[in-house]
Amino acid sequence: MTDQAPVADELVYTRVFEAPRELVFRCMIEPDHLTHFWGPVGVSTPRESITVDPRPGGLFETVMVNDADGSRYSMRAIFVEVTEPERLVWTEPDNGVRTTSTLRDLGGSRTEVTIHQANVPEAFRSPEARAGFSTSLDRFATYLKTLA
Amino acid sequence: MTMAHDRLDATFAALADPTRRAIVARLARGDATVNELAEPFAMTLPGISKHLKVLERCGLISRTRHAQFRPCHLEGAALDSAVSWIEENRRTWTERFDKLDEHLRDIQAKAAKRGESQHEGRARR
Repeated sequence: MTDQAPVADELVYTRVFEAPRELVFRCMIEPDHLTHFWGPVGVSTPRESITVDPRPGGLFETVMVNDADGSRYSMRAIFVEVTEPERLVWTEPDNGVRTTSTLRDLGGSRTEVTIHQANVPEAFRSPEARAGFSTSLDRFATYLKTLA
Repeated sequence: MTMAHDRLDATFAALADPTRRAIVARLARGDATVNELAEPFAMTLPGISKHLKVLERCGLISRTRHAQFRPCHLEGAALDSAVSWIEENRRTWTERFDKLDEHLRDIQAKAAKRGESQHEGRARR
């Protein structure tokens, strides 16, 4: 997995999967698949808590449940673009984060998925903040860890 | 929750500037006076002070009130909350990708098995 952020209010995650693009795309919009991987380690996403209406303006809702203490974390997003099988864009009205998923067919049943998150967080929308970016905030965070 | 979020927004906004990030990186190595901080930058003291005020307002740094040179101090907790937001987000996607990878292997293995048994079924007939 490589992380790269062209400007500091954006986070980019890329991964190559050994699966055809159509299948990977279906995994990202079908609750039966999402329930298997949406929560990080130690967090479940119950099938019945997932709503996906994959069309512009459609709702994308999940509730993640912490396996250890039962605490719940809900996400509510609205689809901006759904272009099967290559592109998904949604925004989260609560925090302004805009997530773009791009699926690239690498041939031989391999698919590269790139998650690009912009407006992280909402404060970064200001033009003066954007103008000031030269290095990645993501890399800055990693760098600071090395200083500690 | 909202207040913490507002604070976090302010922290991110403060860190959006490369000079302020450089100041924070310098302070991560230890306290420093305004003069010391201004050294590596082609900037006037008032220019640096302006940046320090932004960092002070969001709680990223603090300054001793009484000492003559008012050394700047990095407030680790405020920085940690910004850094941990990014790391948490990164961790979520990394682990999500790991699980998706496993899930894709699972369903493809099952599909292949089904295909085989169907094929065997046909052959037997």
